[in-house]
Amino acid sequence: MSRFLIVTLPLTGHAYRAMAIADELAARGHEVAWCGSKAYFRPLLGPDATLFPTGTRLYRDQAGYGMAALKTMWQQYLIPMARFTLPAVDRAALAYQPDLVVVDQHALAGALVAHRHGLPWATLVTGAMELTHPLTALPRVDAWVRAQLASLCREAGVTDVAFDPLVSPYLLIAFTTSALVGEQPFPGHFVLVGPAMLDRPCAFPWELLDPALRKVLITVGTVVTGLAADFYQRAADAVAPLAARVQAIIVGPPDLLPEPPGNVLVVPSVPMLALLPRLDAVISHGGMNTVSETLAHGVPLVLAPINHDQPVVASQVVRAGAGIRVPFSRVLPSQLRQALVTILDDPAYRHAAERIANSFAAAGGAAAAAAHLESSASPRATS
Amino acid sequence: MTEAGVTPDDLTEALAAATGDESLLSAGITAATRLEGDLRLDSLDLAALGALLRDRYGRAVDLVGYVAGLDIDEIIELTVGDVTDYLNRCGQTQRRAERPAEQSR
Repeated sequence: MSRFLIVTLPLTGHAYRAMAIADELAARGHEVAWCGSKAYFRPLLGPDATLFPTGTRLYRDQAGYGMAALKTMWQQYLIPMARFTLPAVDRAALAYQPDLVVVDQHALAGALVAHRHGLPWATLVTGAMELTHPLTALPRVDAWVRAQLASLCREAGVTDVAFDPLVSPYLLIAFTTSALVGEQPFPGHFVLVGPAMLDRPCAFPWELLDPALRKVLITVGTVVTGLAADFYQRAADAVAPLAARVQAIIVGPPDLLPEPPGNVLVVPSVPMLALLPRLDAVISHGGMNTVSETLAHGVPLVLAPINHDQPVVASQVVRAGAGIRVPFSRVLPSQLRQALVTILDDPAYRHAAERIANSFAAAGGAAAAAAHLESSASPRATS
Repeated sequence: MTEAGVTPDDLTEALAAATGDESLLSAGITAATRLEGDLRLDSLDLAALGALLRDRYGRAVDLVGYVAGLDIDEIIELTVGDVTDYLNRCGQTQRRAERPAEQSR
């Protein structure tokens, strides 16, 4: 039996990966504790989970696009979040004495605390930005990110220049495979396990699905709702003329599209893993969670990336042949329709998605991640 | 140098051609329009624009390389005017290279 302390961010794409792994660790007889915002994690984890609260703070709206989004993500979210949570994560590590700290790549306080206490730690890579280093194409932007991290480390009293809070020297787990990121010269302690998926059941009007029509899910994720309305309107306009063959499910609040076309369902949330086997295509912003769960079911995508790592994810999907990329802010309904019809009608896209699904299944997902974490934690009996 | 340089209107036309978005032609683009903040251009759009500008203005034009040399705030604030200035600098360099005899006279 080992003890694992999970430090992650109160964001769906980050929290659910860690929860899938925590379930596997618990099933293998290990103890798991969490460190994060109580307001977010307590309802998610239930009353019995061990949770060391970090407190909760609100953050200003982040800029929506491109480098401005990247800058505010670091400057107004990740770095202040690390600063704010550092004392609580430190106390949690001292109180819980974990054998291994499991750190979301963007929950920087977890890495800093593990390093300060000499605890082994593992990195969970939930996005695509810090795995293949796409920012090397913009060296001065890359240097800016590095400078933010270096200054945070100095502030936290970590002066070891070899320490990188984004990459554990012990174990790094990424929720992808080489079928998606391509063959890369990764270090030996990097393991690619494919998506760690967790069922999120919720009410869904199954009776409204028309078995005669092909199904398309349209979602731009949980974070960017402010940008979504205009895109959803264009997406509804794109699918409306396809009423004879396509039914679309749009994820959003009911007032998003007051009068949706007859072949468009608007629902507040979807039971993604239950719905995916019935889908023929997904139109998405390209968040890693949505994309990897979709590909795990062999379903091709039209991707309209907005910010952060989404353009990177989109280009990986395009390169793998499993989807088409369109510009989020400018794509016209006719262009979106054309892209959708192409991935529905040309079986090459589904075949490419199925190839990725096979590689994901072989990689083992959350169970494989748990096995790697288990072998990286020194058992308590010997400590 | 008497030849007229590349203007914001020329770049607007190139942008519409590179992105396939005709609405840019009537979007009121000026030298002060920002590529990222105002026009929502992403890396893919920039690459398409770069390829078109190279075809149009010569091999010395390397828009993606130019952007790669900028820091994060310069990229955020990059305007149509910055790109036309860059193209006009490339044009001067290229014309000097193509007419060494004229330059030395």
